[in-house]
Order: sequence, then C-alpha cells, then structure tokens
Amino acid sequence: MFEKILYQNWWRWTTIILLLFTCIYGFWVKIPQLPILEESIRNLFFHVPMWFSMMFLMLLSLIFSLVYLANFQPKYDVYAANFAKVGFFMGTLGILTGMVWAKVTWGAWWVFAEVKLNAAAAALLVYSAYFILRSSFNDPESKAKFSAVYSIFAFVMFMVLINVIPRLATSSLHPGNGGNPGFNSYDLDNHLRLVFYPAVFGWIGLGFWLSSQLIRMDFVKRKIDDID
Amino acid sequence: MRIDNIIHLIRKEAVLELRNKAILASMLIYVIGASFIVYYAFQGQIEFQVWSAIFWIIILFSATNIIGKTFDKEVRLQYYYLRTIVSPIELILSKLLYNAILIFAFEVIIFLEMLLFFGVEIDNLPLFFLTLFLGGIGFSNLFTLFSTITSRTGNVVLLSVLGFPIILPLLLLILRLTGIAEVDVLSTDTDVNIGAVIVLDLITTVLSLILFPYLWNE
Repeated sequence: MFEKILYQNWWRWTTIILLLFTCIYGFWVKIPQLPILEESIRNLFFHVPMWFSMMFLMLLSLIFSLVYLANFQPKYDVYAANFAKVGFFMGTLGILTGMVWAKVTWGAWWVFAEVKLNAAAAALLVYSAYFILRSSFNDPESKAKFSAVYSIFAFVMFMVLINVIPRLATSSLHPGNGGNPGFNSYDLDNHLRLVFYPAVFGWIGLGFWLSSQLIRMDFVKRKIDDID
Repeated sequence: MRIDNIIHLIRKEAVLELRNKAILASMLIYVIGASFIVYYAFQGQIEFQVWSAIFWIIILFSATNIIGKTFDKEVRLQYYYLRTIVSPIELILSKLLYNAILIFAFEVIIFLEMLLFFGVEIDNLPLFFLTLFLGGIGFSNLFTLFSTITSRTGNVVLLSVLGFPIILPLLLLILRLTGIAEVDVLSTDTDVNIGAVIVLDLITTVLSLILFPYLWNE
C-alpha cells in the first residue's frame, strides 16, 4: 500500500500548491512589527518547517528500519536509507537557514550559548555516521542489518538531542526555551499561522517527494542489476 | 536466561584478560601517558571546568580502545561454540557487565592520577562516584553494541565515528553532574540530571538486549 503512494501524484500537486503559497504569500503577508526580528520573522516559514520535515523523514526511516528487522525484505532497507538521506538534507537546510537567521538576530553565524543549535549539529553528525557505516560494508545483507540496528540508536539519540537536552538546559536563545517566550506569546498572530501551517505540510511534502524519487531510482537500479 | 551462565561468561572474560596481560598493561600505560601529557601540556595548572572536560575525554578515548576489541578477541570458532551453549541475551549481558566493570576500574585509575597531578578538590565525592559509575555503564552499553557492528567492517576508525556523536548527550549530562559534584551546593538540577543519565543507561541497555540477537545471527 505504501509503495503505491510513491507512484501517486495527488500529494505532489498538493506540495506544489502549498510551497507556491508559502513562497509567494510568505513574502507578502502582513507581519507583526517586532524589534530586532523585523522582516526576518518570515524565516519562520522556512527554518522551522525544515526541522519538522527532517523529524518526519527520520521517523519514517526508523519505522522502515524496524520493519526491515522484522522481515528482512531488502526494499525496506532502501526506504530507510533514502528517507534518512533526504532527512539529512533537510536538516542541513534547517541549519543553513538558521545560521542566516542567527546572523541577523543574534549577530553571529554560530553561537555556542545556544543549546539547540549545537544539539542539532550533533544530530547531523549522528546521521553522517550512519552513512559512513553504510558505505563500509560490501555485503548488502549485513549492510542492511547492521545499519538498521544503528539507525534505531541514531533516532533515539536524535530525539534526546533535539527534544530533551534543550529542555534540560538553563539558557537558550531560541523562543520557548530557557526563559524566552514561546511561539504562542510571540505574536504568532493569525496572519503568520495562515502561512506557517501550509508551509509545514509543504516542506514535509517536498522531503517525501525527494525521497520517493531516490527510492524509485534505487528500485530501477536494482532491476537493472537483476537483484530483484 | 540463567544467571550462572552470565557469571561463567564474565569469569571467562576475566581469565582471558589476565592470561594475556599485555593488553591490560598497555591500556594502563595508555591512560597514565594520556594524563601525563595533559599534565605537562597545562604546566600542572588547570581550572576545574577544564579538568573535568579533559578527564572525561581521556575516559572516552580509553573506553573506545578498551571496548573496541570486545568482539575481535572472540575467535571465530569459539564464537560458533558459544552459540551452541548460551543465548545471545546471556552473552551480551555478560559483555556489558564486564565492560562496565572494566571501564569503572579505569575511571577510578584515571581519577586517582588526575587527582595526584592536579590536586583538585571534589566536595561531593558520593555524587562524583555515582557519576563515574553511571557514566561507565552508559559508555559500556553504547560502545559494546557498536563494536559488534564495527568488528565486521574492518574499519578501525568506525567505532569512534559511530560512538562519539551518539555519546554526546550522555557526556553533556555527565559533565554537568561533575560540575555539580565539585561545589557541594544544593542544586535542584541534580536529581533531574541523575534521572536523565539513568534513563539513558536504561534505554541503551534495553536496546542492546533487543538488538544484539539480530547481529548475532550472522
């Protein structure tokens, strides 16, 4: 059933519409006038949804790793690897957009005092180790098995890094952490919400789209090589 | 699962370790050398924050070296033999326990040296040793399972590559606890941080127990 979705187009059209809406109306919408943030608040429609997209893709990768360990079908390994690949890409975009935002609002590209930033960078390192692990096996079966086991650890630590460590920290520059006001008190008014929620689904859709293309390409490659 | 099997396996590990003393001795010289280099590099003067960071980094590096050989040592034939007499859970539990004990012993040795060289004062020693203990368990859990993965690849650096980013959350919590242990003030964070380390230890133990049987059926 899941495989069918990869070949369907309705969610691709939805993604296009949502992202067009985000990119056009996001620069047009009336924003609350806040000191320091000013126009950079529009980054909310790019930076935050990219992390959501990464979390969604990594969750899919975890689920398919578990499914692989349950029945050892090679196609689930293909799913897990490619969702992680695109999730990593989305995380990199999240870091880059965050760096631009940090330069404008906090005055530096990289800030040590910021837990979330460094935890996110560590999370990306965890997943880059996953790709290195995959590339160091020759035998596809043990590669799939061992990397599935590692990816379960990777996801647990990813969650700890993104969701637990920032909450234990005493200070943070991000809204909603360490005494800073959260989004709700941050004049996330209805205008911003109107763009933010479509943006979240749009970027998740784009991540899913990219991974579906990679997965389909891998399937074609496997057919050419006569593995399946 | 039988407890006496686990005890036998741990005893087997210890006997093998003692029979080939070269590895233990080299690890000992390794940690002494590492702390001595730090002592010279800092000219014997160091602040506590730097001390604790270096202390844990030395432990981290020695742990990768100590545990990295866990599954290399297992000769192939012996491995096949073990499979016929013990269950995977028993084997991994014995490895985890043995490595945790070994790391804790090395932690104490490194601590004594760093204490001798730099003469730091730690007010809350029970908390400090609890941190050492829990940290040792966490290190042992993560590196033991990863060493089963990396021993198959023949890539020596891979254990550090896999382990270091994943150990980071644990290391952050442990460093915070070490800082709390130095100045014995009533800190509300203490319980939360200890709890977080215990939860991480439990998660990694459970994951190792669940996942090891998959790696073992090779």
